[in-house]
Amino acid sequence: MPHQAPLGYVAMLAAFVGLGLFVLPGSAQTDAPEVEALFKENDCHKCHHPTRSKKGPALQKIAEKYKGKADAGDKVVEQMSKGGKVKLDDGTEDDHKIIDVKDPKIRLEIAKWILSH
Amino acid sequence: MRTFRAAERARSRTIALATVAGALALTAGPAMAADVSKIDWDKIVPTKVVLFYPGQSSYEWLRSDAHKGAAKETQRGDSCVSCHDDAKEEQIQGAKILKGGHPLEPIALSGKNGHVDLSVQAAFDDKNAYIRARWTTNNKTRPGVDYPVYRFDGKEWKSYGAQRLQPDAVAGKTPAVYEDRLSLMLDDGKVPGFANQGCWLTCHDGQRTMLREATRAEVAANPLLSAIKKADVRKYLPVSRADPNDWKTGKSVEEIAKAKAGGEFLDLIQWRAHRTNVVGGVDDGYVLEWRNFDSGKNHFASNMDDATKTPKFMFDAAKQGGKSQTDADFLKKDAILVKGGNAVPFDANAGWKAGDMLPQYVLSAADAGGSAADNKGIGVWKDGMWTVVIVRPLALANDDDKGLRAGGVYNVGFAVHDDHMTARGHHVSYVKTLGLGAKADIEAIKLP
Repeated sequence: MPHQAPLGYVAMLAAFVGLGLFVLPGSAQTDAPEVEALFKENDCHKCHHPTRSKKGPALQKIAEKYKGKADAGDKVVEQMSKGGKVKLDDGTEDDHKIIDVKDPKIRLEIAKWILSH
Repeated sequence: MRTFRAAERARSRTIALATVAGALALTAGPAMAADVSKIDWDKIVPTKVVLFYPGQSSYEWLRSDAHKGAAKETQRGDSCVSCHDDAKEEQIQGAKILKGGHPLEPIALSGKNGHVDLSVQAAFDDKNAYIRARWTTNNKTRPGVDYPVYRFDGKEWKSYGAQRLQPDAVAGKTPAVYEDRLSLMLDDGKVPGFANQGCWLTCHDGQRTMLREATRAEVAANPLLSAIKKADVRKYLPVSRADPNDWKTGKSVEEIAKAKAGGEFLDLIQWRAHRTNVVGGVDDGYVLEWRNFDSGKNHFASNMDDATKTPKFMFDAAKQGGKSQTDADFLKKDAILVKGGNAVPFDANAGWKAGDMLPQYVLSAADAGGSAADNKGIGVWKDGMWTVVIVRPLALANDDDKGLRAGGVYNVGFAVHDDHMTARGHHVSYVKTLGLGAKADIEAIKLP
């Protein structure tokens, strides 16, 4: 059975999305513990730390890379949705995990949270 | 030797551990020179060790693509916590695995907690190391002191009750019952990889309740398990297999003996709420090619006479309130059989009725001996919390022990079994270090 995001988080996030409660990137730091929980629930934190490089780049580094770009959210969503090869700091390549979140709106909120670092 | 009544008092849920520890000191052999009750635990800063439910996350699974983004890293021996480093990592993983529908836990375990906060304190003197652990049990009204029994069906005594993950218990065909346990796996630095990956080195597909659990026929056909006379696959270390990913590839008995002589094994120390606690015992075992007990005799032994197919002992009705358990008091009234205490020889003519039950094990501190009986300990359950003190003699020189010494630092993995479970049904810790008067995650202080 595929690993699904917990319904509680998804429902809560869907409600937040519907109510437009998320803060967009570029403004103040998103206060979204539910998004962070979903990020960790999907083990994204195994490779991405907020401030330091692990197997993958730090969230701050990702946010910096896309700073000021209009399509930043879409690019991050694409990375987490389509997987594909990513180049690691040690020069090797690995498959990027595809996040187990089906709702595109929630994927976008996770991307926004990443970009808020 | 402590009497059964004293032991029962010791296990009482309402008395203070200090009193129990005092009783424990009375039971002790030469290694128990210190009186545990005199240790002022309030002066020893506890270390919080968080344990989580791992489901079927075996050595093999961790090295497979199912372990997303980490197969290669695990294969090359990276530490679990090099990736799993969130401040609430254990809480995250435990909740995820138990939320339902997760590939690592195929059984819906309603109400099962994802993690356990274990409070650990340690001390040592010239004779022993003392490890005190406290944790809250999932069941707040009764401790896990029960165990499957032999139940008379009118003709035969048959096993009744099973741990919660066993298919008959899952299907509701037999009651879910098993004892609570606290376990430590300990390495002195001689087991390659344990410092980084801890207990997960020992957990493999093919073991009981794990993926592709071995059949009896498969085990019978296996050269190593046949040679060591085992009927199932238990914990093993990679060094014992030609291919560590395949339990079937056991090395020769001679090669395994060589690894053991070189210290490539883990000490396994287990406190058991049913089978050791009331006699002040704690298992002493080791993991290498199997989950072995040390040489000698445990604090518990089978209560089944293989020749007559009847129990060896029954309860002394005057002490227990009846010669056996019945459905009315099963899982309600403590029923722990102790030689020299509440046990008397089984009487086949005692008027047994269908539904009568007797324990599967009989306990004895006096019978325990050899390396298997090195460890002592006691646990008290009060207000939904176990407080367990394990006493481990220092400098053991047996070939199946890790000799602890002042100044030494050891790699330790903790596990707690709760909720009538065994095998994979435990909570486990990432590997920690234990230092006896030395810098470590858990620092044992020297007692005056």
